[in-house]
Parts: sequence; C-alpha cells; structure tokens
Amino acid sequence: MNGPAAEFSMPRSSWAAAVLPPVVALTAILALWEVYVRVRDVKDYLLPPPSAVFRALWDDPDRFASAAATSLTAALGGLVLASGIAFGLAVLAAHSRVLERAIYPPALLVKVTPIVALYPLLAIWFGFGIGPKVAIAALITFFPMLVNAIVGLRSVDPQALDAMRVLAASRWEIFRRLRFPSSLPYVFAALRISVPLSLVGAVVAEFLSGSSGMGQLILIANGAFDTASLFGAVFVLAALGVSLTALVGYVEGRVLDWHVSAGA
Amino acid sequence: MTSTLDLAADGALTVSVRGVTHRYPGADGRALLALDGVDLDVRAGEFVSIVGPSGCGKSTLLRLVAGLIASQAGGIEVLGGTPGDAQRAHALGLVAQEPGLLPWRDVAANVRLPLDVTRTPDGARVNALLEQVGIADFAGYRPGALSGGMRQRVALARALVHRPRLLLMDEPFGALDELSREAMRVELLRIWEQERIAVLFVTHSVAEAVLLSDRVVVMSGRPGRVRAVIDVPLPRPRGEAQESSAAFIETAAAVRAALRAGDDGGAA
Ligand SMILES: Nc1ncnc2c1ncn2[C@@H]1O[C@H](COP(=O)(O)OP(=O)(O)OP(=O)(O)O)[C@@H](O)[C@H]1O
Ligand SMILES: [Mg+2]
Repeated sequence: MNGPAAEFSMPRSSWAAAVLPPVVALTAILALWEVYVRVRDVKDYLLPPPSAVFRALWDDPDRFASAAATSLTAALGGLVLASGIAFGLAVLAAHSRVLERAIYPPALLVKVTPIVALYPLLAIWFGFGIGPKVAIAALITFFPMLVNAIVGLRSVDPQALDAMRVLAASRWEIFRRLRFPSSLPYVFAALRISVPLSLVGAVVAEFLSGSSGMGQLILIANGAFDTASLFGAVFVLAALGVSLTALVGYVEGRVLDWHVSAGA
Repeated sequence: MTSTLDLAADGALTVSVRGVTHRYPGADGRALLALDGVDLDVRAGEFVSIVGPSGCGKSTLLRLVAGLIASQAGGIEVLGGTPGDAQRAHALGLVAQEPGLLPWRDVAANVRLPLDVTRTPDGARVNALLEQVGIADFAGYRPGALSGGMRQRVALARALVHRPRLLLMDEPFGALDELSREAMRVELLRIWEQERIAVLFVTHSVAEAVLLSDRVVVMSGRPGRVRAVIDVPLPRPRGEAQESSAAFIETAAAVRAALRAGDDGGAA
C-alpha cells in the first residue's frame, strides 16, 4: 500500500538494522553468561560473571588504559612502519616486473616464517622496550599491504591509462592521478586485515617479553588467578580491535565514496 | 565547413603510414602477423574511417599511430614527426570503446584531466566542451552516476579539451545502443566541423563510416592489409537525412563489396 513511503524510510531503518542486531545479540550473550554463572555457581577463577569483569575494569581503569595505550602504540607503530615500507616497495614492484620478482621471495619468506620464532632475535637487536613489539607487529602486517598494494597499483583502467599515455604523461603524473587512487580500495582492504593483526603482534610480543602492555597485564592476572581482570583485558582488546576496524571503515567510506563498494 | 575543406585541400599529411607490418608473439610460440604492409594517409582536417573484419588489426593500427605500441617495421609519421613527438606536442586525442574515466573525479574534472597533465588550465575550454557534448548539466556528477552514452560523451570531451590535431577513435560508439549511437554520430559530425581536426575512426558499421568520413579504408582479415580506399562524395555538412541519398547508398554498397571481396578468395 505505502510501498514508496517504506522505501524513503530505508536509510534510517537500515542503519538501525545494521546496529541493533549485534547490540541485541551481545547483550543477550552477556545476560545468558551472567545468569549461567550465577545459577550454576561457577567459580570466579574459572569463569567470572560479566558484572565482575566490568567491576574489575571499573575499579582500576588506569591500569587497563595505560596497558592499552602501550600495546596500541606498539601495534600502530608497527602497522604504520610496515605499511609505509610495503607500499613503497609495492610502488617499485608495480613499475618493474624484475623488481617484483626480486621483492616477492623475501617477502614471502617473511610471511611463511612463524614471526614469533624471531622474537629472541628481535629482543637481542631491539632490547626489551617497545622495539621488538613494533618489529613483530610490523613483520606480521607487512605482507598483506605489500601484496594488496602491488595488485592495486596494477589494477588501473587500461583505457584511462591509454588516455594519459597519448599525452606523454610522465610516470609520476600517471602514478599520482591514476595508479595511486586506483590502489586505494586495495590499500584499505589490506588495512582491514592488518589492523587486527598488528594488535595480535603487539600482544604476543608482550607475552614473550612480559615487560609491559596488555600482554603483561594478562600474564599477571593469570598468575594471580584474577580471571576477571584477564577477561577485562580481553574485552579491552576486543573493543580496541572493533574501534580501529570501524575507524578504518569510516575513513575508507569518506575517501572511497566513488568506489562501487561504497554504495553497498 | 569551407575552412575544413581548405585544410583538407592543402594536402598536408596528418598521418602517413607506409608499409607497416606488425607481429604479436603468438600463444604457440609462432608470431602472429597482425598487419602486413599497410599504407594509410590522413590529411589535415580529414575524417578517415577504417572498417574491416574483427581481428584484422584495426586497433593495432590505431595504437601504432597513437604511439601506444612501438612500431616494428615500416614508417609511421604523425604531423611530420614520430607518434612519440605527437604525444609530447599534446597533439593526440583518444577515444576507445570503453570510456576509461576516473571514477573519483566528477565529469568536469574528468574532462579537465588532459589540461591537468599538460599543466595548461583552461576552465572556459572545459565548460565549452561540456556544453558542446551536451553534458553541462552533469558537470558535478561522478561517472558512476551516468549512463553509458553520457560517459562516452565525457570521454569525447576529454579527448578534445587540449585541442589535439588528430583524434583517434576506436569503435567509440561500439558499446552504445542504436539510438545513442545515432545521436553521437550527429554530435561528432557537428563537433568535428567546429574543431576542424583530423579524425581516424575505427568502426564495424559501414553506414557509420560512410556517413562520417571523407574516405573509408577497407581492411582484409588476418593478416590485416588495406584492400580498398573509398572516397565518400557526400556534401558537407552531413546528417542522418543523407543516409537515403543515392550517393550514400552507392558508397555503402561499394564499401560492403570491398569488405566481402575476400570471402570468395578474390582480391580487390
Ligand atoms: N597484445 C596482443 N598480444 C597478442 N596478440 C594480439 C594483441 N593484440 C591484438 N592481438 C592480435 O592481433 C590481431 C589484431 O588485433 P586487433 O585488436 O588490432 O584487431 P581489430 O581489428 O581491432 O579487431 P576488433 O574489430 O575485434 O576490435 C588479432 O588476431 C589479435 O588476436
Ligand atoms: Mg579493435
């Protein structure tokens, strides 16, 4: 009957349709968890109720905040470093098959090596501070950016390329007006993969070094059978991952409003 | 129009192709002979079409003239120099079957691209061309919001904005529906008469070639050779109405006969 009216209200209801289900589902899971723990009287060190987890967070927010800041700095440091280097190498590789063949095997080696095994070496080289954490986060996020950026820089519309080449456009002109913008959807796809990976890298490095950050916080909580804090750390890391991914998605939406994926 | 004819009459060659042969590396290791001893002239301000069976090397020939692929054998002169010289003089415009627009630029910015690349800003020229090809109302739209016909108009405006002296078109209307095609032909004629530049135009449509061109070059199938060059005696300015004239019908018949000549093994 009022089909068109329903269509016009689409944007708002689809926004609600996007946000409501996960919120409802998450709340339901926490509620079930709370009820289950209370009804079955599960021991706190095995599985604390969500209320206890939130209380742990609430009681000492600074501990979590400073640990999160430490881990986040290492993760983002590694991510930015690796993405920058990987994109630079991808620019070289995209312009020369020879360079691409030279860059790929060592890059693949980095990818297939269990990075964690390099930790002792990285600790010897970079000490026990933020250095090895950044290095692990960087090594873990390097490959997705390299591969995506090479593909992206090559994925130019051949007709658009021809239109520039008949004007004797320089490589630099073609790069900045065509290749670079064409690569952005691929760069953002890489970031969506590597942002959570960078957190994994930082936390794993903290497990191994036990010196600071969320990894250390988890180790200490674990040793003290403080399972509520342990869960608190997990919640904080999950929230960090979600926020960073959402941030990437938001920037992507603004930068790539021309891209076909933007309408979806 | 008279000035167009004057330019054509002074005999200066915009394109001169002499004995051009081109091979591609074939899949089975043997070279594929795409063009074999092709000669072709386009005089200043002249509209020349190339017709021929699919795969006869029309695009190859056009890309050689555009300097997009390196010539292997024979001579190619564009405006008295090499195709590379013509590129550097910003004397070439190119329209292919797909528009090749930049999806992140709006229509006006897409048309402006050659001026950006050559660092010769000219906002008035961009606006004039948007007007000329009938897309001024869509100047702020992104290509994604346009129909195929409108995108091709943008591509045409982009190919002309830097005032090239040779416009190369490779089946520019091939992906359009019949109605858009007819509209684009008429627009192209009008624009060509205003801009007075030489056009080398590849098409599969005999009617299109005859309606638009001063001369139609008929190529034979693989390897690509020039089988015939047919003058079109229709007066300018031209329009769709001429498609029913006797001269049009005769010329189209001559082009079709030349196209078919190879089918029974004969050579024209
Ligand atoms: N890059 C390439 N590598 C190898 N072979 C090619 C290449 N480009 C074209 N060819 C071959 O050269 C021949 C001529 O191709 P070309 O595209 O010039 O033909 P065309 O006349 O434009 O065809 P169509 O009318 O279908 O567009 C074809 O047999 C084609 O398969
Ligand atoms: Mg072709």
